[in-house]
Amino acid sequence: MRPVLVRREAPVRGGQPLAFAVGLLVALLFGSVLLLVAGDSPMEVYRRMLSASFGDMEAFSVTLNRAIPLALAGLAVAIAATMGLWNIGAEGQILFGATTAAGIAQIGEGWSGPVLIIAMIVGASIGGAVWALGPAAAKAYVGVNEIITTLMLNEIAIRLVRYLINGPWKDPEGFGFVQAPALPGQSLLPDLFQRTHIGLLIAIGVLAVVGLMVSRSSWGYELRVAGSSGATATYAGISLKRKILTVLVLAGAVAGLAGGIELTGNATRLTETISNYYGYSGIIVAALALMRPSGVAAVAVLFGAVQVGGQSIKAIGVSDAVSTVLQALILFGVIAAGVLIVYRVELAEAAARGARSERRVRSR
Amino acid sequence: MDAAPLAVELTGIWKRFPGVVANAGTELRVEQGSIHAVLGENGAGKSTLMNVLAGVYRPEEGEVRLFGERRVFANPSDALAAGVGMVHQEFRLVPTFTVAENVVLGAAERVLNMGAVERRVAELAEQFSLDVDPQRHIWQLSMGERQRVEILKALWRDAEILILDEPTAVLTPNEADELGLVIRRMANDGRSVIFISHKLHEVKRYCDEATVLRGGRTVASSMAVADLSPQQLAELMVGEATDTAARPEPSQPGEQLLAVEKLCAFNNRNLEALSDISLSVHAGEIVGIAGVAGNGQRELADVIAGLREATSGTVTLFDEDVTTATVRHRFRSGLSYIPEDRVGVGLAPQLSVTDNAILRSYRDHTRGPLIAVDRAKAFCTQVIDSFKVRTGSLDQRIAGLSGGNLQRLLVGRELTAEPSVIVASQPTRGLDVQGVKAIQELLIEARDRGLGVLMISEDLDELLAVSDRIIVMHGGRIAAECDGADANRSAIGLAMAGETQ
Repeated sequence: MRPVLVRREAPVRGGQPLAFAVGLLVALLFGSVLLLVAGDSPMEVYRRMLSASFGDMEAFSVTLNRAIPLALAGLAVAIAATMGLWNIGAEGQILFGATTAAGIAQIGEGWSGPVLIIAMIVGASIGGAVWALGPAAAKAYVGVNEIITTLMLNEIAIRLVRYLINGPWKDPEGFGFVQAPALPGQSLLPDLFQRTHIGLLIAIGVLAVVGLMVSRSSWGYELRVAGSSGATATYAGISLKRKILTVLVLAGAVAGLAGGIELTGNATRLTETISNYYGYSGIIVAALALMRPSGVAAVAVLFGAVQVGGQSIKAIGVSDAVSTVLQALILFGVIAAGVLIVYRVELAEAAARGARSERRVRSR
Repeated sequence: MDAAPLAVELTGIWKRFPGVVANAGTELRVEQGSIHAVLGENGAGKSTLMNVLAGVYRPEEGEVRLFGERRVFANPSDALAAGVGMVHQEFRLVPTFTVAENVVLGAAERVLNMGAVERRVAELAEQFSLDVDPQRHIWQLSMGERQRVEILKALWRDAEILILDEPTAVLTPNEADELGLVIRRMANDGRSVIFISHKLHEVKRYCDEATVLRGGRTVASSMAVADLSPQQLAELMVGEATDTAARPEPSQPGEQLLAVEKLCAFNNRNLEALSDISLSVHAGEIVGIAGVAGNGQRELADVIAGLREATSGTVTLFDEDVTTATVRHRFRSGLSYIPEDRVGVGLAPQLSVTDNAILRSYRDHTRGPLIAVDRAKAFCTQVIDSFKVRTGSLDQRIAGLSGGNLQRLLVGRELTAEPSVIVASQPTRGLDVQGVKAIQELLIEARDRGLGVLMISEDLDELLAVSDRIIVMHGGRIAAECDGADANRSAIGLAMAGETQ
């Protein structure tokens, strides 16, 4: 007897919250062992993590700030995945979006706040879209694997930012810090409540509109058909080339927007670390949301809470390494439990192997 | 009783799939050291039977004996360990590995001395005249060479029984003759070769014995090929004229709706699949296209529907030249298409019943940029009710529907558009008896309403039962054409097999 994973007919309805809870619980148990070995008190650490992320309005507002770029990055991955495309390039799109916004801030130093902010936000989206355009065109017209091109452009984006903040855009008053100059004061996003800036509303609006487009519009319908089978899409008269182009460029725009919001809302200046791996975290966020735009927001808040909580426990002397491992454990637990929504575990005898390979063949 | 036990003895093999009985008590006896042809039309149960022998499927009933000993295979590796190797139609090779690496993959000692392995692979290739360089990478090789690598893989694992599933489909005639020599050497070496084909001249040329399957049953077992004419083989394959369902009253064909002139097109491998095809479909007739799979029928249907480009020639719908028109334009002009590949071309498996029902007409069910869900559902309900599609909820993924219901949904959707012409490619393949009947009746009804129907099928009985005219395709050309009512089935069988009278 050995356990095997068998795909369910359909994912368990509403199984996601349950999986979160189970995964979280298991991860916390494993984490306790880790913390005990490291000489920390699990109860104290967990209490601290919870209060730092959800403890009061202020803590929650910090968590929400984190969730904004995570949700947009997750959306940038999820909409591409609706059509079966992998946008691994949200990281680069965020960086180039932020870079574009920072450039606009330099040009528009004298503009009024609202004009400058809108120009920066729109510019960031365009920047992200531009960054995705190359892979999109290469995929649509020549069939180049978008995973590779989007991933490689991340490396180019980070080097571009490094060059700018070490060279032409280097802050003369940076006291040796490698960073761009601070943005002009009027270009910073106003606060909405506590520490949460107005980017929250932008993110919610974009999530709602894009979510509606994917799930209800005829554009989204075409996307879903193409994601289900390219040949079916062609049969239905849908241009695959145009779909690939528009969906990847839109994904880039959403990620670029995340970069713009992060710049004007949190970072206040262009730095090398502004993207903070949100682009890669976005892949996990989208995967946990089962690639559905509608699920991205909730997952992003949870993910943000784990990050904020994980950071906070360094203040009570938990080492950086333990904090990182703990965050990873929680995510790992939730992801592993998420698998059980789509698959179920069966105990199979060795002799039943034939039946299984048969099913594999039949499903082709 | 012979002294030497049979290399392969399959008795009473039953294998059912949802809605289909693939093997119904099928028998197969193969002598050691012989080349044994397994013949049959598509859907006759050849592949299923071979997959049973190769350990891919487990039969519900029946016995597998190798050299007289009863065997039960849990998986393909069991079968391979017992000496049964199979070369599938789609090769299973790693393109970036060398020939030698592919040959030993999964069957090598832990520490590889590649030099020695390459020498041994070269020796093995030499022994059977398999001309292939062990050091080359798979991606550099032609299809014929890749096939030799697959055969080498089986020989490397010391397969006593080698199954070749339609091996000549990917080969040029010269390569096919070379393959003939290779398998003869293997037979002389005492191995047994099972050669699946529906090309009669190949069977005559390369094989010693033949077993013919039809509808999952063995209709002729281990016949000596030398004693049979292609004519006799063809008759065995397509069967005696069974008592078919009452033919529909012949209709009076009306105006010409669809015409194809000197049409040429490539297949997916950029080889010529259609050469100079000309045909027409009139109002109120069913034109049946007969032929063994892979003789250009799929390409013909795709070119007519607009899913594949014609390299030359024209497609005319009514009086309009639509050769370069989009799929959508042709559909709007009254051309419906039931593709051979239902799930994967005609339907989107991961989407709901509603989403699939509106696949062709979603632009008519919109409100601004959004799909009007209420109207889409109303349309879907109309299709489901009119064509008796059994579904749970409209939001259910179609992946859960049975084959018959999927086809009703697809056919229903295409007919609801009130087309003038319908191209139906293998519309009843894989359906159970009732499903077949239902779909055939729908097409006949459509004909009676004055539609022109182009029906492509590999089931000759079906074409004989419903067609007003039958066109036989072979090698991308029209090999024969005859009236449906007094068609000569063995003449059609010969034309299907590429034998010219």
